[in-house]
Amino acid sequence: MSTPESLPEPLFPDTLARVDLGEGRATIDLDAGLYPLEAVYGAAYVFIDRCYVLLDRPEPTKLRVLLSPKRPDADVAAQLRDMVGELANELLSAAWRHQITQENRARIEAVTLSAISGAMGPPSLDDLESFDFTEEAFEDPLGIAMSWEEKYAKKKSDAGEGAGKPEEGT
Amino acid sequence: MREVRFHRELYRGEHVDQAIKVYDRFARIERAEEDAHWVVRLDGKSPERERKIADELANYALGLTIQQRGGI
Repeated sequence: MSTPESLPEPLFPDTLARVDLGEGRATIDLDAGLYPLEAVYGAAYVFIDRCYVLLDRPEPTKLRVLLSPKRPDADVAAQLRDMVGELANELLSAAWRHQITQENRARIEAVTLSAISGAMGPPSLDDLESFDFTEEAFEDPLGIAMSWEEKYAKKKSDAGEGAGKPEEGT
Repeated sequence: MREVRFHRELYRGEHVDQAIKVYDRFARIERAEEDAHWVVRLDGKSPERERKIADELANYALGLTIQQRGGI
């Protein structure tokens, strides 16, 4: 086994990424606090068709990704360098997607639940009987929402007043 | 002899076993357990072949682990 070397024209410090040209392998160390495990799995999966990928946890706070190309180029060093850069980008993207998913989990679950309950068909009479209609349907901070009865109540009373008046010209 | 170490917090034992079942016709494969790792030892016809099988086995185990977690 050859001695690990820093990347040619290093993208990252040696403490984060290094290559072993003899083994044709790049090693990337990650802070587990910055990159959640799900993001690391997601990024690793993207590379699984063109690289051999092995994950490890050298320390409780660190994750390690070992990448080696399935079809090494003539310039393995450059190939590994590119792969390390691509993995770093993919990790960032996966971590961001993971964060968005976590933040929107409640909303996604609510939408999914309502879609599924809608697909189950109309509510039964028993469901309607137990439904709480007193609850506010949605927030209306500007007070522009009103029911049909509220909207046309005045016109109805106007119509009531004018009903007894004979129309002019008849 | 080549050794691959799968961290137990990252790979599930049954997925490593499944991967071993797939590749054990290509090499003699043994599995051992350590505190933090599942250790897979391969004995193949040549070092190159051992490495190839070890790498493929590791990818297979990782793929199973990720798919099982629903991470994709």
